[in-house]
Amino acid sequence: MRVQTLMSYWLCLSIAGLIGHVSSWAALADSDIQLGQKIYERSCVTCHGEFGKGDGPAAFYNSAYSAPRPRDFTVGNYKFRSTPSGEAPTDQDIFRVLTNGIPGYMPSFSGLSEEQRWQVTAYLKQFSPDLFRESPTVVDLPDPFIPFSLKSAQQGRSVYLEMECQACHGLDGRGTGATTLMNDLADSRGLQISSTDLTFPQSFKNGGTGQDIIRTVLTGLDGTPMPSYEAQLQGRSEDAWHLVNYVLSLSPTH
Amino acid sequence: MGIILMFTLWGSWMQDAYALPAFARKYQVNCNVCHTRQPRLNSFGEQFLENGYQMPGTEDGGIVEKLKYGDVTLDQVSNYLGILFGLNALENTQLRRDVPGSGDQTDIASPTILRMFTIGTFAKNVGFLVDSTTLFAQSSDLELGRAFVTVNNLGGMDWAHLRVGRLDPSAYFSFATDRPQFIPVGPKLAPPFGSFATPAVDRWAPMPSAFASKFYGLFDRSRTAIMPYESTLYNSDKELGIDLHGRPFGNWFLYQVGILNGGNERAGDSNHSKDWYVMTRFDYAQSDYFSANLSGFAYFGNHNAKVSTGADVSRSRYGVAARLRYKWLDVYGAYTIDRVTDLPSGMSATFDATASGVTVETHALVTDRLLLGVRFDHMDAGGLLATRTSATFLAWQAKYYLRSNLSMTIRHDMNLRDAEGGMSAARNLRNLFSMDLTAVF
Ligand code: HEC
Ligand code: HEC
Repeated sequence: MRVQTLMSYWLCLSIAGLIGHVSSWAALADSDIQLGQKIYERSCVTCHGEFGKGDGPAAFYNSAYSAPRPRDFTVGNYKFRSTPSGEAPTDQDIFRVLTNGIPGYMPSFSGLSEEQRWQVTAYLKQFSPDLFRESPTVVDLPDPFIPFSLKSAQQGRSVYLEMECQACHGLDGRGTGATTLMNDLADSRGLQISSTDLTFPQSFKNGGTGQDIIRTVLTGLDGTPMPSYEAQLQGRSEDAWHLVNYVLSLSPTH
Repeated sequence: MGIILMFTLWGSWMQDAYALPAFARKYQVNCNVCHTRQPRLNSFGEQFLENGYQMPGTEDGGIVEKLKYGDVTLDQVSNYLGILFGLNALENTQLRRDVPGSGDQTDIASPTILRMFTIGTFAKNVGFLVDSTTLFAQSSDLELGRAFVTVNNLGGMDWAHLRVGRLDPSAYFSFATDRPQFIPVGPKLAPPFGSFATPAVDRWAPMPSAFASKFYGLFDRSRTAIMPYESTLYNSDKELGIDLHGRPFGNWFLYQVGILNGGNERAGDSNHSKDWYVMTRFDYAQSDYFSANLSGFAYFGNHNAKVSTGADVSRSRYGVAARLRYKWLDVYGAYTIDRVTDLPSGMSATFDATASGVTVETHALVTDRLLLGVRFDHMDAGGLLATRTSATFLAWQAKYYLRSNLSMTIRHDMNLRDAEGGMSAARNLRNLFSMDLTAVF
């Protein structure tokens, strides 16, 4: 073999090695947040906007003149939390939304690897650093757990009425309570919002299982009229589960 | 037949309030996550399309309810099968009265279009699309439309996406011509038909001029006349070829290159030569509900048409387009120049080898359900000097969405040059009113 050939093989190899080295070094140098930014700029930006304000070019079309718009991460009232009203969500909360999506409005991003979902979660938190400064406390689920039964659901109905859920969700749970019908419910952006039809748990944005619903009821959905019932249900763990079982009983599949 | 089918579909749809078109079903989202209003795509829908029907930034290959066959995973049928049904409920054509044999015509209730499509992914980074269209006005045969396989994210995320099969090159252009808000209105033709014969046009078809053929006196390789309003060159919705596109440097830049069989042929390759194209697109802004893009392409034809002497000619097209979206407003326009080369030497005095066209369209979403649109078209026609006539049209339409997948449209096309007179079809049509109903399942 001629020397020149060998030399050129070598040259090729070293260039390839160099490129490989530089790129792996570049990858190491990237923090989770930087990697998260790259994912955000591909997967989230057209809805949530370059600066996280929920004003991407596709943000207006989903529900142009009514709620919800994509979340404004700089304002920081997160809807789907396991933490008390007004607090930041946990990383797991954000991860859960990415994995499950938000029925109707945001597709699931379970096509991203778990690692990528954590990275983009880290990046999201950069949009409202103040909110995420302290680590959030998780609201405890009422103990003991009461599994679904018709009897429990019947008891739950009186809790439902006592808490005046019907004002918004209606007596039959179809989301046609008097307040909703008057069309004066609005979210924090001032956009008209309707109360969820409770007979169709598949469409619940925060999840439709009993565990999900109790989380929704206790923590509330910040930025919407759906209040937190943590204070009212304090020390009434059985009633809390009865209420959840009543909500579950509204769906025809239950 | 169509009517029965429609009511069957209607029935099944009414029962299941949550049945939505294929992707919406598959990903459990609203149609408007991807569409400004169906069928036009918003920026998120464009990203989903670019990534070969996978969520942007992912290689998901579809995630919900997969059926597994060994290594192959398939979506459930209802998650990749879609049906579009268009009913042209009413059409009123007003023609010039001084042209022999013309006058007003009103047609009612004809099912015009039934389109079935299956789109989805086989596996990570491998997607497919097959669609077929039946145009009842012409025949009730099912005609194969696009049919291609995509292989995505070759060499890295968004670096290169490949499509092979019968495809629609303009899909990524600033002015994508598929999924129009203004549904194409067909022409009405009369004999003579046949080899190198040019049919008489009883009613001109107002189609986007920038993408129209623009030449008088051209024929395809099967010797059928290519009418000046017909969609051609980079704007075919089903030409056999290979297409590569990607965004290797991030969101701001997209490239596309492709090779097509050309020659307007359904199958075969009688001219033994290919057409090819290249397109680049620049995107700007991703916040304040605003985005803009600018793109340009060159399409090089190679023996892809004929003139009446039977000689092969080559048609090429160069175009620029821009699109601007701000909140409820969507504006896009394109300008193209077409050239015919390889003309037989004897024809150069009677044939204008250059033509151009411009189309500007805008849509405003004035309520969640009402979309208003305006389109302006101008064609500087080329071709046989004896017959060529330029055309200028203005159209407006109001589209009301009863649901995100069910719309009613009223539309009015006006000929801005009917006063100029003459016997040409481009002047004959004065007004065209139409009412349509479109449903997608
Ligand atoms: C198709 C548009 C769209 C895309 C793409 C999108 N989102 Fe969303 N997102 C929304 C909408 C709309 C909401 C608000 C839904 C609601 O309030 O009911 C939302 C809400 C959220 C929330 C909920 C926060 C809360 O209130 O608890 C998180 C977290 C989130 N998005 C993260 C992301 C991330 C990360 C990505 C990219 C991987 C992304 N989104 C991509 C539309 C989108
Ligand atoms: C002031 C009006 C109001 C009252 C009172 C109210 N809700 Fe809601 N609720 C809403 C609104 C509005 C939403 C929809 C929020 C959204 O779509 O972002 C909602 C959503 C929900 C959801 C669905 C969350 C999801 O995951 O999508 C559940 C479950 C629910 N409410 C249960 C209850 C129960 C139980 C009570 C009584 C203890 C109650 N609500 C009281 C307004 C109300």
